[in-house]
Amino acid sequence: MAISCPVDLDTRRLRDEIRSIYARVAVEPSGEFHFHRGPDYAAEFLHYDRALLAQLPDESTASFAGVANPHRMGPLGEGATVVDIGCGAGMDLLLAAREVGPRGRAIGVDMTEAMADKARTSARAAGLDNIEVRLGDAMSLPLEDGSADVVISNGVLNLTTDKSVAYGEVFRVLKPGGRFLYSDIVVANELSEGIRKDIDLWTG
Amino acid sequence: MLGQVGFRGVEIRERFDTFRGTSKERIARKYGVVGVNVYAQKPQ
Repeated sequence: MAISCPVDLDTRRLRDEIRSIYARVAVEPSGEFHFHRGPDYAAEFLHYDRALLAQLPDESTASFAGVANPHRMGPLGEGATVVDIGCGAGMDLLLAAREVGPRGRAIGVDMTEAMADKARTSARAAGLDNIEVRLGDAMSLPLEDGSADVVISNGVLNLTTDKSVAYGEVFRVLKPGGRFLYSDIVVANELSEGIRKDIDLWTG
Repeated sequence: MLGQVGFRGVEIRERFDTFRGTSKERIARKYGVVGVNVYAQKPQ
């Protein structure tokens, strides 16, 4: 995974492209994309519990576009405050909210208005009132210092242009002893400068 | 990188063949791109 953008990568264009793609995933999850979406993919490829997914509103699972499964790294803890960075349509967020229970909180952050709206709608449809969704950016989280017991993120931070800033933000918002259950993609081989400047590959 | 910002106990817990069957499968295989679960903890 690249640590930071090449100096001449157009980061504004990259952000706009990311917003555009994930807004399309929000409104048209069955459209053509170069990554998998939906609950069948989540269960078959990423080992999510199919029965649990079936209990969530369809609109939260249809637009799921994560790349791994943070819930397989241990229990979140009843009563915990969990933050989901890049919560998308809310599938991981809703699973977290159910797990922490009514004494806990699940706070989703997403930079795409359409996804944030969808997550809020899904939370209401699921009857989960311990969920809050905030519009925001992974490189400047709209959260207090030391406010989270657990931070999860699934397939999002690889899209940020400076990983050290994004990881620093996760560190800032976690309480001492807090856990970061981080799901993302990694690249085993060194990438050429040309590959690292290709916005289609960044957003892919 | 996670260690540099202060996290401890950083480890890859699981890998996933995330791009199997997509239009990016070939390039994912070429560059070794996989989905991963990574665990990290902020010190007490």
